Formats: sequence, structure tokens, C-alpha cells
Amino acid sequence: MSDEPRPDDAESRDGDADRQTDGNADRQTDGGTTSRPSGEDADVLDAVENEDPEALDRHPIEWDEPDNNRKDPDERLSVSSTPEKADDRKLVTGEAKYTADFAGQFPDLAHAAVRRSDVPHGRVADIDTSAAEAMDGVYAVLTPDSEEVPDGKYTSAGQSYPEPSPWDMHVLSEHVRYVGDPVAAVAAVDAETADAAVDAIEVEYEEYEPVFDPEAAFDEGAPRLFDDDEVENEIVGHDYERNRMASIGGSLGDVEAAFDREDTTVHESEWETVRQSHANLEPHTSLAYTDEDDRHVLVTSTQVPNHTRRQVAHLFDVPIRDIRVTKPAVGGGFGGKQAMVTEPIPMALSLATGRPVVYEAGRDEEFGAMRSRHPMQVRAKTAVTDDGDLEAVQITALSNTGAYGSHGMTVAGNVGSKPLPLYSKVPNIDFAADVVHTNTPQTGAMRGYGAPQGTLALEGHLDEVAHEMGFDPIEFRRDHYMESGDLDEIAGMMGGEGAERRIRSCGLDECVERGKEAIGWDDADQPDEDHLHRGLGMALSAQGTGVAGDELGAAQVMMNEDGSFHLHVGGVDIGTGADTAFIQIAAEVLGCAEEDVVVKAADTDVTPFDYGAYASSTTYISGMAVKKAAEDAKERILEWGSKLLEEPVDALDTAEGTVYSEATGEAVTLEDVGYEAAYGDEEREHILGKGTHCTEESPPPFAAQFADVTVDERTGEFEVNELVVAVDCGVAINPGMATGQIEGANHMSYEMAVCEGITFDDEGRSEVSTYEEYGFPTAAESPPVEAILVETHEPTGPFGAKSVAEVPTNPVPPALSNAVRDAVGVRVTDMPITAEEIRTKLDDGA
Amino acid sequence: MSVELTVNGSELTLEDPERDLASALRASGHTEVKCGCDGGDCGASKVLIDGEAVMACGMAVADAAGTAVETVAAFGTQSDLHPIQQSFVDHFAVQCGFCIPGMVVEAKSLLADNPDPTEAEVREAIDDNVCRCTGYQKPVEAILDAADRVGESDTAVATDGGTAGGGVDE
Repeated sequence: MSDEPRPDDAESRDGDADRQTDGNADRQTDGGTTSRPSGEDADVLDAVENEDPEALDRHPIEWDEPDNNRKDPDERLSVSSTPEKADDRKLVTGEAKYTADFAGQFPDLAHAAVRRSDVPHGRVADIDTSAAEAMDGVYAVLTPDSEEVPDGKYTSAGQSYPEPSPWDMHVLSEHVRYVGDPVAAVAAVDAETADAAVDAIEVEYEEYEPVFDPEAAFDEGAPRLFDDDEVENEIVGHDYERNRMASIGGSLGDVEAAFDREDTTVHESEWETVRQSHANLEPHTSLAYTDEDDRHVLVTSTQVPNHTRRQVAHLFDVPIRDIRVTKPAVGGGFGGKQAMVTEPIPMALSLATGRPVVYEAGRDEEFGAMRSRHPMQVRAKTAVTDDGDLEAVQITALSNTGAYGSHGMTVAGNVGSKPLPLYSKVPNIDFAADVVHTNTPQTGAMRGYGAPQGTLALEGHLDEVAHEMGFDPIEFRRDHYMESGDLDEIAGMMGGEGAERRIRSCGLDECVERGKEAIGWDDADQPDEDHLHRGLGMALSAQGTGVAGDELGAAQVMMNEDGSFHLHVGGVDIGTGADTAFIQIAAEVLGCAEEDVVVKAADTDVTPFDYGAYASSTTYISGMAVKKAAEDAKERILEWGSKLLEEPVDALDTAEGTVYSEATGEAVTLEDVGYEAAYGDEEREHILGKGTHCTEESPPPFAAQFADVTVDERTGEFEVNELVVAVDCGVAINPGMATGQIEGANHMSYEMAVCEGITFDDEGRSEVSTYEEYGFPTAAESPPVEAILVETHEPTGPFGAKSVAEVPTNPVPPALSNAVRDAVGVRVTDMPITAEEIRTKLDDGA
Repeated sequence: MSVELTVNGSELTLEDPERDLASALRASGHTEVKCGCDGGDCGASKVLIDGEAVMACGMAVADAAGTAVETVAAFGTQSDLHPIQQSFVDHFAVQCGFCIPGMVVEAKSLLADNPDPTEAEVREAIDDNVCRCTGYQKPVEAILDAADRVGESDTAVATDGGTAGGGVDE
């Protein structure tokens, strides 16, 4: 789920505390004119007319798209159809294997448990493991000093190398920085014994003063979490004296000049987001053992097998080739497993005991010691003319990264770089974010990855401006939002020259129109009861598709003699249906049935390299690698078909399990080709195709969110009648799976609007250790969600696809805040939206 | 003291009466019973005990003595899914799948008691089944559709209730 905003590598790791302002060029736009030519050509002309010619060279409007990439709906063989999700039958019968389900295969398996810090800040002064070691069934007790526990610093963030996250963690810590920091680990005959042994470890702490509030952490004299020598691979803008791990930003034009202009009104607002938990149903689980070749195997619930392999290799000083990471079924990730969170524990314990070791995090550990969404305070400031021209937008964020800095800078960057490009017509943009440490559990990647926090501020703020100035909130947005052909300088404004991107697909207009219609925007009735008020709100959302210039995926297609295929791909299906999308892409190219493609994915010994499931990249990056691999195989298939049919290759194509000639109507089956290639008389060949894909492109998908709410003015209680979200994800490879992604993401977005998230007591202890305490909306408490797919064609994506799973995670909090504003005239800026808050504001207003 | 019960029609003897039933079933090979919380909080471990949906993790082995336990593995096979399972597949109601065994068990229990539930009744029935992926929308649609499918077939035992391609929104 990560998108790096690409501060260049040198800057991301040096000690320069200056904010990056590369790309701070004057914008060559016309100051946010509201005139919009009709038709795509006119739009493109309008965009180009005002553009730097060099930018046009760097980012041409026309993409050199292969002929086979764009197909009319009736030409598509598998893409846009809805074959079953490939793993569903084993999932609904309970036969799928998740990591913990492999335990039965290891008779000498040991179970791990972790002793975690009882204090929010301090140093382990003494640790007595003797009672734990003496217990029956305990195989090993490890502390930071143990030989098998690595000394080195690392980040758990599962990112490209070197990670744009500071190396500030240890596998087991002496300097503890939150209640829950791991200080010791046990392997025992069963989980109960391991838990009991962990409790028997006696730890004495030299306690330090903690700091929990992100603003207080910035104060002069605030307790300091890190000495300078406790961090390597520091991030741009770090200032550990002030607990700041990073500070980033960028700008275009001159916002201050726009704020000072006499013909603009300046609006300011401040927003706050919750610490949301991934609450993935399958806990973080990892199983480690050493095989008969003395190689280390990790079966693990991860989104990032290749990053984990590299990180484990570095941490334990083992060659990469001697580590195998395999991903079985994964019970939900949402970014929480875009990290090497649990793997080092069973790895170290396995080295210490010589046994296979499994570590399955408890639900209390999931809420208190794994990862969560960065809570943020985000300020928005705009300059708007009376005519409704949005002259400047400034977003400023303070992000609480908790005790460690994994994903801290990159998430903060996305607060600006994802939502702000929605308004590419605005001439003056400024974004800045500070990322600060507190003595709370560390945060990490989570679906949306900073975009939800920025989207709340931007989309709530613009709605408030529209209300205050008497503009229609949709038309006000429409006058400034992105369209196809635009050169988006905002997404790249932190990345230096050339980091702009060309927008080649944008379905915002249709998203808005279809969403309006579905929610009944123009004809909402009020309830009969005087105390009930119905309101409608909307918000826009944009994301990326992969990390521009920082992705890699690869795949291999192997043909069997019966005309079926093995597809080996590094892409990581964590329940999203990625494997099925890969099958459909391969089947589309090869002209075979979906069931004739067998996927093997995400096993570092077997499958090609891949960065992993994050940044909305899987369909786009790994999927394009699959497409290339299938095309490579298809070339060979056509060669063999040409021999059998005695026709030139150019005259042939594949469909319905055959190689056929359009000219003659002759055909041979893929099985004929497979047998001939494998067992032919004169020459033979194993038909193999390979594909690898990386790109500088990261096209945004778009969403228009609508919320329909009824508020009781007497109590502030509200009921969400419906959520509608229309999404432009390019061409949906499988519309059934795509709508599932949208509905699930929108539910997670809704949770951010109505659920308090993880909270802490005065001593820094998590007040949430169970699902019930977390209090997220259950099935009966969840409003209906209508997901609408708006098809556009993204020429850089496989068969026109761009991403889908993150963009609907962002927009419910602002849409619901906007709906409440519409219903009863009060503005809730701090999440969650509660009846008490609405009631208080109604009382204040009265 | 050992505890005897039947699981999916086969006799099973469990040795540790104090242990929670979900862990004991998993240790005896029934890994289709899932554990997503530290006990009684997520619904992933639901099994039918004498026909009633119960979270196995919230129950001691001793309390299951003499009962007939049915897990999702008894409902249908991959090539011959139960109509409820088929409906989940057809509606794309399965993403990561970790909640699905418990969800399908609860759906079977619901439809046995209430063959024609309303959407609100379905949502109430799965209110203690945590699903993190779907937002509940497609599982609810799948269960409502399964009610029709089960109603159309003579019995609620495994039959091929599939109507491939049905139920996709778009």
C-alpha cells in the first residue's frame, strides 16, 4: 500500500533538515480558468496550449500502446468477464491453507510468544529469564543479548531497497519506546506454555518520561525517543532532538501571494483522523524452519515475500539465496503485512532451538503492538475569488508515527501527493508534513496510505468553502478538477524535475454524474418528522497505481503439452483476487480458458521477483508482467501453429483454445501445438514466455463518493441511509472482484468516519485488545454500499486497467462530514463523527 | 478424562477436556475451523453443534461431549458445493476467505431456522462474524440468494446449487 513520493535517494537518507522544494517551478497554467472546451480533443488542446514543451516531450499525451492492449468490450475474451475467483472453492470449503494451518506438518514444531514492554518509555535494567527457562516444555528464551538475536538496526517497512524508512528498530529492544515493544521471546512445546513462560520473565525497567501527544513531542525539552546514534538510514528532515523523524513537502507557484491578494477570501480549517487498525482477521503469523539443505524457510502471512527475504537476509547476515519465503493463503493484509513484523521472532527462535517455530500474534498484540494507520492533524488553507476561482490550496500535516518510523515519511507524502492532484487546475499549491515520534505503538502502511487523511482535509474543506461562499459543492469542484490530457505537476512536486505525470484516463465527470443519479442528489426528500433532517454529501478521491518509477514485477508462462499453462508470478494475492486477475490477463493473451492457466505465485524459490502487494500496484505492474510473459509464449505458440497449419505467423491468432487462421478458417488446438512442441519429430521446444515490468507511470484511479444521512437534531444521532461510490479504475479485469474491492474499501473508509480507533490510557496502554473494544461497524451496523464501475481506458495498464482497491478507502469521512453539514448545518472536523459531537455543535450554534 | 463426540459424522476422541474446542479441532486436523481472535469475538470458529451455530473457541471440549459437530468441511466439496457455498462463490462474497467457514456455518444455521430471511435478519445473524474484506455487502447478498437456492432444492444437504454467473452486480 505504499507510495513513495520519491525524494531522491540521496536526499531521503542524508541529514539535510531542509524541506525538499524541488519542482518549485512557476506553473504554466492560466490561473484556474473555468472555461472547459467540450470533447476530449478540445481538452487535450487546452492542456497542451499552456504547457512547457519539454514536459510534453517527457510526458507525451499519446502513449505508444500496443495494438492488442485496447479492445472493445465485445472483442475481449476473458478481461471484463466474471469467472469465479480462482481460490474460492477451497476457501468456502475450508481447504485453503493459511500459515497456521501448516503446523500439523511439523511434529517437532515449537510455538513462540513475545514478552512485551510494560512501560511506555525506558530501558531494560534487568531481565531474569531463569523461571521461564526452568519451565517444562520451554525450549528457548531469547533476550536482546542472545547470540541468535541480531544486533543490527532495521525497519520493518516492506519497501524497496534501501527502504525510505529509518532503520530504528531492533528485533528485541533494550531501549523500549511503547507499551508492547518486544523485549524477549520464548519457544515452547505449545502456545499455552510459551505464554506462561513469557509471563514468568521478570523485567525491571529504568523508566523514562514518556510523551504521547504529537504536538507536545515537538516541544522544547520534550522527552526524546531517539539519540542520533540510535538511527541509521535517516530520512530527510529528521530532527531527533525534537522527535521529528521526517519533514517533507513541496510547492508549485506561490500560495502566500495568492493568500495576500485583495480579490481572494482565505479559508482555513483543521481536521483530525483516528488511529485505525487493520484488524486483519488472520493475525500476523510466521513459521520458520531450516530445511535439509540448510536453507531457511519462512512460511508467512505477508504482502511482501521478496522484501522480507532481503530484510531477513540482511538482518541475520545470511545470503539471500539461502532464504525461501513462501506466502500461503493470507487472511487479510490492508498494508499491515507490508512489513516484516513477525518473521524475525520465529527465525531467531528456530536458530536457537533447531526446531521449526511458529509465531501467531494474539488479537491483543494485533491491536497493541502490530501496526496501525498514522493518526494525523491536517490543516487546509485556500484562497478563493468571489467568482469561485480556487487560486491556492495549502495542506499542512502533523503525522504521529508512534515509536518507530516505518512508512512514516512516505505515508506523510501521500497526504499531499494523492488528493491534491485532483485539482490540477489550481495554480498555487503548497504541501508540508512533519512526522513525529510519540511513545505509542508504531504505525505503518494501511490501505489508502496517507491519502485518507489528506482527502478528509481537502474534501471537507472545499465543501465548507462552497457552503460559506454559496457555491454548488459539485460545480465548485468541477471547475478545478483534473481531466484527461492534463500534465499533473502536483503528484511529482516532491520528486524533482521530470516527476510530473500525464493523465491519459480520467472518468471523474462520469463518476460524479452516475454517483449523483444513484444517490438522488437532485431530489432528496426530507423526512416528515420536524426533528429529522436528511442531508447529502459528496467527496472526490484519487490514488496512484503503483509507485511511479519504483516498482518491479515479473512472470513466467510455461506451456504443457495438453495446451494448458503454468503461470509463475511474483505478485502477491492477499485475498484480493490478484491470482484470478493474472489468470484472466494470461487467458486473454493466450486465447485459452481460465481453467487452463494454473497459477503459482509468491514463493521466492520458484516465482519471479516482485516488489509485493502494495501501492495499488498488483494488477498494473505484476499484471503487465503477466501480459508480457503470455505474449512471449504466444509468439512461440504461433510459430508452432504456423508449422502445423502451414500458414504465415502473421495470419494467425489464438482464441478458444486454438491457433486459427482468419483467412482460411483452419485451426489447430493448443493441445496439438503443445504435443508437437514437446514431442515433434525434427525439433522440439518447451514453450516458455517471460515478462518483466517496471514503469515511470502511475496513473490515478478516481472515485466520487456520496453519502446520504438522516440526523436527529434533538440528540445528534444519525443514520447513514446509503453510501454510493463511483470508481474509475480503467478497465476492470473482473467486475465482480472489482466491486468487492470497492465495497470493502468503502466500509473501511466508513469505519474511519464513525469508529474511534485505537485509544490509550494515561500510561500509554492500548484501551483496545478485542474486536468488541475496537467497536467497528458490524454487519448490522453497516450501511448499504452501492459500487459503480465507470470504465475508462488507461493506455499504460494491462488491457486498460488501473488500480481499484485503495481509492475508495479515502472518501467516506469527508463525504459523511459534508452530509451532516448539509443536514443540520454543523461541521464535524475531528473523526470519528459522533452523536455527541453533532449535538454539542448544534447546542453551540443555538 | 477423554471426551467423545462426532465431527462431520466421524467419531473423535479428544484428550484435554479443558481445552477450547476450536484449538482441539484444529489440532486434530480440522483446520477449516479458523481462529481470528483470542476467544469468542470474531465468529471465525463457528461450527454447528447439534445443528446450532456456536463459536468453538468459546466452548470447552468437555461441553461438547456426546454432541454431533459439523464444520464447513462437511457441507460440500470443491466439485460439489453446498448451495450456500456456491452462492458465496457466485456473488464474489469471498476475498481473503478467513471468515468464510464461520460465515457459511452461521448462514446454514440461519436458513435452517428461517428459510426466507429479510436482509436485516441476515445482517443480524452474521453480526458477530467479523469480515474485514467485503464490508458485508456481498456476503449478505449471497446468503439472501442462498435462501432461494436452498428453498428450491428439496433438502439443504450438498447438491450442486450453482447458477454460474448469477448475482454479479455489474
